[in-house]
Amino acid sequence: MTAVILDGIVLGLQFGVLAVGLTLVYGLGGVLNLAYGQMAVVAAIAAALGMDAGLPAGAAVGVGLLVGGVFGLLLDTTLLRPVYRLRGEARVLLSLLLTLGLAFVVDGLLTWQLPLEALTLHIGGGAVEILGVPMRRGSLWASGISVAVFVSLFFFFRGTMLGRAVRSIIQDEEGARLVGIDPNRMRTLILVSSGVLAGLVAVTRSMTIPVTVTSGISITIFALIVTVVGGLGSVAGAFLAGLLLGIINSVSSFYIGTFLTLIILLSAAALTILIRPSGLLGTPE
Amino acid sequence: MTARFTRGTGTSLVGGSERRSSRSLLALFLPVAAVGAALALVPLWLSDSRLMMGLAIGGLLFACYAIAFNVVFGSTGQLFLSTGALAGIGAYGAALLGDRLGFPIVVSVVLATLAASLIGGLLSWIAVRRSLDVIFIGIVTLIFALSFENLLLGLGDLTGGESGFSLESGSDTFLREQIPPYYLFLGLVLLFLIVHGLLRRSHIGWAFRALRDDKVAAELTGVNVARYRIYGGLIGSGMLGMAGAIYAFNEGRISPSTFSFGEVDVVVLVMLAFGGIGTLLGPVLGAVVFTVFDEVLVEFGQLRVVAYGALIIVLFLWIPRGVIPTMGSLWQSRRLRRESAGSSPTDPPH
Repeated sequence: MTAVILDGIVLGLQFGVLAVGLTLVYGLGGVLNLAYGQMAVVAAIAAALGMDAGLPAGAAVGVGLLVGGVFGLLLDTTLLRPVYRLRGEARVLLSLLLTLGLAFVVDGLLTWQLPLEALTLHIGGGAVEILGVPMRRGSLWASGISVAVFVSLFFFFRGTMLGRAVRSIIQDEEGARLVGIDPNRMRTLILVSSGVLAGLVAVTRSMTIPVTVTSGISITIFALIVTVVGGLGSVAGAFLAGLLLGIINSVSSFYIGTFLTLIILLSAAALTILIRPSGLLGTPE
Repeated sequence: MTARFTRGTGTSLVGGSERRSSRSLLALFLPVAAVGAALALVPLWLSDSRLMMGLAIGGLLFACYAIAFNVVFGSTGQLFLSTGALAGIGAYGAALLGDRLGFPIVVSVVLATLAASLIGGLLSWIAVRRSLDVIFIGIVTLIFALSFENLLLGLGDLTGGESGFSLESGSDTFLREQIPPYYLFLGLVLLFLIVHGLLRRSHIGWAFRALRDDKVAAELTGVNVARYRIYGGLIGSGMLGMAGAIYAFNEGRISPSTFSFGEVDVVVLVMLAFGGIGTLLGPVLGAVVFTVFDEVLVEFGQLRVVAYGALIIVLFLWIPRGVIPTMGSLWQSRRLRRESAGSSPTDPPH
């Protein structure tokens, strides 16, 4: 049981980081990015190709994160430009449809050109014992990176001017504009960070299971579930929901089975929308 | 180019473009009859090939899906991302009733249709009760669709899991022949078109339009928004269930991938966006065009997925009203220009 819960925490931390990348873009731009999982996959494939080409693992990961960021930048400066001109519901609807299209384009291109490419990072060394449970070193690395990301995000949003500027736009775009914050630049920043975060999750995930070219859709679905449960636009909510759902996921797949586990997670998201649409830590409208 | 998007505050992508022609019944039935007559001729030159007839039936099936999705999304602005799942409920429901429980085919189809209709209506009811906006309806129905797909895979004993479900019943009826099922599905398409057409003309249609154009104003003038959205969900989902159920008996084999999000919802979205969201005949035209297009694309393998993704982007970004309505109004404005130019022999070059 302890082992299952520890596994859940490892997964949950990754879920949390994954959801942050999605939730920030929604909170800031009112954009629901259904091509989010494809961002992660493209970053992972770039890292895998880098390693095929003989780069050391660290450099390959760097290439992957860079590619994730560039993906975000391109998305922001091309496809999402017309989306930003809309307001409210119409903006989210158009963003959802356009990124759904993009997800299929990226998926199709990847399976066409690189059907067998996958990223697996082998972290050397054996298992380490924690609470009497042997943990794979990859899992520990993945968790350490995820925690570090959360801590730095926390300081970024609370402690820096830039972070506060981003938060001000989430709260009130017009108000932020009035005090001289340029929403477009903040959005670009967040889209790029979102791409980097997606890439980071793909890399940390590949330390325990391989990330393949077809993983995109399931990554998006998990990110969406965690984001909804945590509250659209809430970073702390994403962290909490990630941990919670990660543990539920591990316990339930161990005791009940994989298909029903996904249904349980999906129901958690559906129930959240029905009972508390703003999510665990989101602010009600 | 951008002005188009900023019209209205609500879901301005949806409809709002079709012109209301004469309200006489003839004006409704004439185009439907014309489409029916044109499609009725298809088997005359395809009937030699079992493969081609199968494709034609698939095209009509998707026309049914697209009309149903149009009733829900185009008319009441509810983004149901569970077209495939609701059709799947009809298909698996009918298959289980007919094959496992031994019900007659007609009874199975009716019960499965009711089941899909009630579930779709329930989704609408939930959305209305919780006053979910279009995005949350999309997310909830997408979650529903994914859960349904996983349920089919998880309950392998009942549904045959990934490899699917082979139906015994129906194998000795006309449903497995080549030509008769085509006309059955054509009848279904025409029935759905007439139902949708009558709906649009009735007070329900007026309420739908008021809802779509401005939900708040509609509510203020006494339109019961909740009730009409639930009607939309019930009717559209019932259509999906019926089409899926009949397809199950016709094909004799159903599997989760037949009703998956990627195989059904994305394609239906493209068909509707092409034909014109909220129009009467747009879904059928879109279905015809993309059935042919799909067959051309098959040999390109994965590029088919790319093409559909790119089409979604292009259609919603540049031609949000749909290709057919846009072409129609282009043609009309050119004709108007020519008429206003009178008999001047030289058109000004542009």
